[in-house]
Amino acid sequence: MLNLIYWELFKTYSKWRTYIGFIAVAVLIPIIMWIMWIEGGKFISYQLKTLQSEFLITGNLFNGWVVAQVIMNGLWVHVPTLIALVAGDQLAGEATSGTFRLTLIRPVSRTRILNAKYIATLIYTASLVIVIALLSLGLGRWIFGTGDLIAFDKDGITILPESDLLIRFMFAYALAVWSMFVVASLALFISSFVENAIGPIITTMTVIVIFLIISNLPVESVESIKPWLFTTHMNVWQQAFRDPYDWDKIWNSAAALGINSFIFWGATLWIFKRKDILT
Amino acid sequence: MSDIILRTTDLGKQYKNRWAAQAIDLEVHRGDVFGFLGPNGAGKSTSIRMILSLITPTTGRVELFGYDLFNRREQALQNVAGIVEKPDFYLYLSAYRNMQIAGSLTLGKTPAEKKIMETLEIVGLAGRARDKVKTFSHGMKQRLGIAQALLCDPQLIMLDEPTNGLDPQGMKEVRELIQRLTTEKGITVFLSSHLLNEVEQVATRMAIINKGKMIVQGSVEELLKANANKVFFKLLPLKRAALILDSLKTVSAIEMTDDGIMAKIDPKYVPSVINKLVNAKCKIFSVEPKHSLEDYFLEKTTES
Repeated sequence: MLNLIYWELFKTYSKWRTYIGFIAVAVLIPIIMWIMWIEGGKFISYQLKTLQSEFLITGNLFNGWVVAQVIMNGLWVHVPTLIALVAGDQLAGEATSGTFRLTLIRPVSRTRILNAKYIATLIYTASLVIVIALLSLGLGRWIFGTGDLIAFDKDGITILPESDLLIRFMFAYALAVWSMFVVASLALFISSFVENAIGPIITTMTVIVIFLIISNLPVESVESIKPWLFTTHMNVWQQAFRDPYDWDKIWNSAAALGINSFIFWGATLWIFKRKDILT
Repeated sequence: MSDIILRTTDLGKQYKNRWAAQAIDLEVHRGDVFGFLGPNGAGKSTSIRMILSLITPTTGRVELFGYDLFNRREQALQNVAGIVEKPDFYLYLSAYRNMQIAGSLTLGKTPAEKKIMETLEIVGLAGRARDKVKTFSHGMKQRLGIAQALLCDPQLIMLDEPTNGLDPQGMKEVRELIQRLTTEKGITVFLSSHLLNEVEQVATRMAIINKGKMIVQGSVEELLKANANKVFFKLLPLKRAALILDSLKTVSAIEMTDDGIMAKIDPKYVPSVINKLVNAKCKIFSVEPKHSLEDYFLEKTTES
C-alpha cells in the first residue's frame, strides 16, 4: 500500500496543475500583506474604533497574528477551488488520458488503488493548507511583528495573549485541513463518475456555493438540514480563537465533517469498483 | 494447473438493449499465439476488457490460470499483462517512471532499474528511458506498451490491435517480437486484430467473432484445412462452365458468383479441369486457390 501511495503522490506532484494552488497562495498572500502594509493600521483601527472610545489599548495590535487570521478569513472560501483542481483530476484525469487501461488491468484491487489516490489527495490538501500557514505566519510575523491577537466574531471581541497563539493557530490550521478534506472527498467523488477533469472542479464549487447559501439562509424551513451540510461546519477553525474553547461545537463540527468525508469516500468506492472503463 | 490458461464461459456484455458481446466461450492453451479475429465493432475490445476486468460482464465468467477473475482477481491477473487498444501513459513522466509505476502495480514494489533497462532494451527504447513519453512517436509508445507488458515476466500477454497506427516496418517488428515471445520466452499471446495477414503469420489457434457473437474457434491449421482445395475460376460464360464442372466427379461444392465460379477440387486435378473448360470454349481469365485466412474469415463473417 505504501508503494501505491508513493506513486500516487509522485504522479500528483509531477503534474503542473498541482502547483497552481501553491503558486496562487504564494502570490496572493504577499499581495494581501503588501496591501495591508501600505494601509498600515487603518484596518485594525477601523475594527477597534468603538472599543478605543471606551478602553485604553496599548501594544502592537496590528501584528503578524492578526494578518494571518485575516488571510485565513479571506481564503477559506477560495481554497476549495484550488483543492478541487487537483482532487477532481485524480480519477477523471486518468479516465481522460486512458491510463486506467494501464493500471486497472494489474493485480491490484480497485479498492487499494482508490485508497492510495484518496490518501495522496488528502496529503496534497494538507500540504496546501500548511503552505498557507507557513506563508501567513512566517511572512506576517516577519513583516508585521508579533503581539496579542484581537479575535472578532459575532459574539464580540476576544483578546488572546501572544503566548497562546502558536498553539491556537496550529489548532485552527488542523481544523481547516479537516474541513478541506471534505472538499477533497467531494471532488474525488464527482471525479469518479465523469471522464473530464473540468467537470468535477465546476461541480464541486457549485455544490459548495449552493450549500453555503443554504447554510447561511435565515429561513426556518432549512434549519433542520443545516447541521447535515458540511458547509455549515467548514468554518470550524474559527473556534480555535474562542476563549474558552467551545469543545461541544468543535467535536460536533469535526464529527459532521468526518461523516461527510466518509460518505463521499464510500460513495466514490462504490462507483469506482463498478465503473466500466470504456475510454 | 490446467493446460488451458484462459477460459471464458458464456461471457457477455449488454448496454441497454444492445449486446456488445454475447456468449463468448474462449479457450486459450499455454503456448498458443491465439488470434482473436473480427471486423471493426465486432466486440473484440469489449471481450478483452471483460477478460482484463476493465468492464464488468453482464453474463458469464472468466477463468485465468484456474482462478475465477471475479472472486480471485489478484491471483487471476498475477501472470497476465496486456495492451488494450492503444497504449496510454502518464505523458508528463519519463518512460522509465512509467515502467516503474506499471511494475510496482504488479510486483507490489518498485522494479529494479536493471530489469527496467533490460526490458526497454528488448523494445529498443533504452536510449530514451529518461525522456518524457509526450515526446514519443506512436510507434515508440506502442513499443513502450509492450515493454510494460513484458516487465513482470507474464505468462499471458493480451494484445489488442498491437500494430494499429504502425508503419509497415513497425508492424513487422511487432510480429517478430510476438514470435520471439512465444519461442524464446514461452509466453502465451492473445492477439486481437482485424488484420488477417498479421494473425495468419503468427497465430497457432484462433477464434472469429462477428456482431458480438463467436462464430468459430480452433487451430488455424485445422480451420483452414476445412476450407482447403477451394478454387475460384474467373471465366465466361458462367452457365456453360457450371454445367461442365458439375459433370466432373473430381469437382464438388460448386458456387456461382457474379464474376466466376467457386468449386472444391483436389489440386492434382486442377490442370485437367482447366483443360476441359478450355475445350468447351470457356474463356478463363484466372484460376485462384482460395484457402487463405482472409477467404475463410470473409466466408464465415458473411455467413453470420
